[in-house]
Amino acid sequence: MKRAIPAVISAAAALTLVLAGCGGGDEPVDPDAPVTITLAGWSLASTPEFKTLADGFKATHPNVTVELKEYAPGNDYDTQMITDLAAGTAPDVYVMKNLRNFYTYQSGGQLLDVSDATSGLGSGPALASFQVDGKAYAVPYRQDSWVLFYNKDLFAKAKVAPPDGSWTWDDYTDATKRLHTGLKAAGSNATGAYQHTFQSTVQGFALAQTPGADLLSGDFGYLKPYYERSLDLQAAGAQPTFGTAKTNKLTYQAQFGKQQSAMLPMGTWYVATLLNQRKSGDADTFQWGIAPAPQFDKSTTGTSATPVTFGDPTGLGINPKISKSKVAAAKAFLQYAAGPDAGKALAGIGITPAQVTDAVTATLFGLDGVPQDELSKFAYAKHTIKPENPVSKHTAGLQNLLNETHSAILSDSKGVDAALSEAQTRAKNEVLNQ
Amino acid sequence: MWRNTVTGWSFILPNFVGFAVLTLLPVAVLFYVAFTSWNVFGVAEWTGTANFRRMWGDASFWTALRNTVYYTAFHIPLTLAASLGLALLLNRKLRGVRFFRTVAFFPYVTSIVAIAIVWNQLFSPEYGPVNALLRAVGVDDPPGWTTSSTWSMPAVIIVGTWRYMGYYMLLFLAGLQTIPAQLYEAAQTDGASAWQRFVHVTIPGLRHTTFFVTVLLTIESFKVFDLILLMTGGGPGQSTLVLSQYIYQKGFEENQFGYASAVSIVLFAICFGITVIQFMVNKRGNS
Repeated sequence: MKRAIPAVISAAAALTLVLAGCGGGDEPVDPDAPVTITLAGWSLASTPEFKTLADGFKATHPNVTVELKEYAPGNDYDTQMITDLAAGTAPDVYVMKNLRNFYTYQSGGQLLDVSDATSGLGSGPALASFQVDGKAYAVPYRQDSWVLFYNKDLFAKAKVAPPDGSWTWDDYTDATKRLHTGLKAAGSNATGAYQHTFQSTVQGFALAQTPGADLLSGDFGYLKPYYERSLDLQAAGAQPTFGTAKTNKLTYQAQFGKQQSAMLPMGTWYVATLLNQRKSGDADTFQWGIAPAPQFDKSTTGTSATPVTFGDPTGLGINPKISKSKVAAAKAFLQYAAGPDAGKALAGIGITPAQVTDAVTATLFGLDGVPQDELSKFAYAKHTIKPENPVSKHTAGLQNLLNETHSAILSDSKGVDAALSEAQTRAKNEVLNQ
Repeated sequence: MWRNTVTGWSFILPNFVGFAVLTLLPVAVLFYVAFTSWNVFGVAEWTGTANFRRMWGDASFWTALRNTVYYTAFHIPLTLAASLGLALLLNRKLRGVRFFRTVAFFPYVTSIVAIAIVWNQLFSPEYGPVNALLRAVGVDDPPGWTTSSTWSMPAVIIVGTWRYMGYYMLLFLAGLQTIPAQLYEAAQTDGASAWQRFVHVTIPGLRHTTFFVTVLLTIESFKVFDLILLMTGGGPGQSTLVLSQYIYQKGFEENQFGYASAVSIVLFAICFGITVIQFMVNKRGNS
């Protein structure tokens, strides 16, 4: 009797698998036969990248139609996708928005081995993020990185020298305070900077830039100086407090686009957003630029060095339940999406592809409204990008825990030392021991 | 006879099948999954009582449980008092009483998202009208509300009470209508004051309604989720993390469906246990 329930469940699961397997079939593979593959996307009306990829691929593979299937935006995307994959109703090709859930998908057997679709894609860190035991389970088609957006007009108004690529975080803190004072003197209510409430705005940089920092070690001491600077800026009034941003639902788009803040550390996806904001009238017209993210120390500053920043690649993987007759077309689509032609097409709508080549940079900076100065081009094209979510079964748990730590520190509910010490204890007892 | 049975079954079958597939089966699966390690993909691995043992040493689980009890302990009496007060106030023959009843019920039918956004702005420590009012009446250092780990739970309790009092007011109003007017007349003839009439006529007359409301409130309080998720997201830190949210976090954000199911069972056991105790106490009172 004890074994009866597991036996019934196992039998039901086995039956489900058998029935699901029936859909696959052993159809003959004809490379020129008309094929339709489905692709997951989100907010299709306002996110043109999926249609750009589908149309671009159709141009080179006329027999293949890529049909878009809309999913929820934000964090709900993964919840919905995981549910559909478990139910066997997910599309043929789906997106991994970041690395946070890659472990779940890959270890759960929800990604086809696509190693043969990676030829010609080089061997960058974005591709390596999706590799397990030498096999690729997804290909990167986007790779945003975090940079510093700044408002040249507000810098001039505050009479503060704009970023020149040599800034450490101490320089940034100092500039933010001087901007605050200068803007106030000039009669402006704008703050020096706006660090959004995302944990990434503090933790992403700290993890990427601090020598020896390792999320999975459970030792979070590397976060301390980054939090101390943020608290210092809040206390000085040089940036909106965490509480104000949360309770008033401030958006980084409005803060920067409406010139409420002179600087905004944010991912390169904001280039496309800002251009759209200006078109729709949601942003003012002003001179802006992109600078490298402030650095841990001077060793990675200056245009002769390579600044260090962070960002997770966005990948495309294939659902193992795809019909065999569609696998070749799906792999060809992956190869196209991660390749140079799609890269240029994506850059043409302001999206940063996984491989930023000179052609990509030229295309993106050819868009109307994108700054033309050399520092902006340098910041966009040259940097070392480290992942925000190192692939591991512990990543989601640790990031949740650190998100709670983030709100505790920035709301002044807990001191930095006490909060980090508690986070370390919890990481050891609640996540890393699982 | 057979024909009657078939006809009878055919009426209840659609509902029964729906209940079995959408409620009974998932609940049965939940009880099984709670004893496994399962990340939604693949086969669930039987781990016995490991999930329950893990809970014992999980500080976050205890924090969530403590916060849930905190919310419940304040939400129930406050909502009872507020909804009964409103019901007594709006049970009179006043001009426009229907309008006021509708107004009191309004928060219950308003979108929870809108409620969370508006109340968050009202509670904004620097610019919110709540603190502006407190400063105006001489409070020098008003609370940080949802941005303070000390005040976030009181803020959520206030909004929770405000949201649900209209609904329970309706139940109390219905209960008040069932108290015979003669009892009040007799009490008045005997010289009972308004307070005495309330204590000796209204309260006993509302016994069954109060019991029903308390049971509903207990279950609703222990299950609180959407309001907290939208207002504070469980923060700052873990100051408003409640059990339902912890279940969501472990299940849907960390894909630990086995552990999340085990916590669900504990939440169910708590609700069930307290409801049984309430029924027992009520039964003893009746006898």
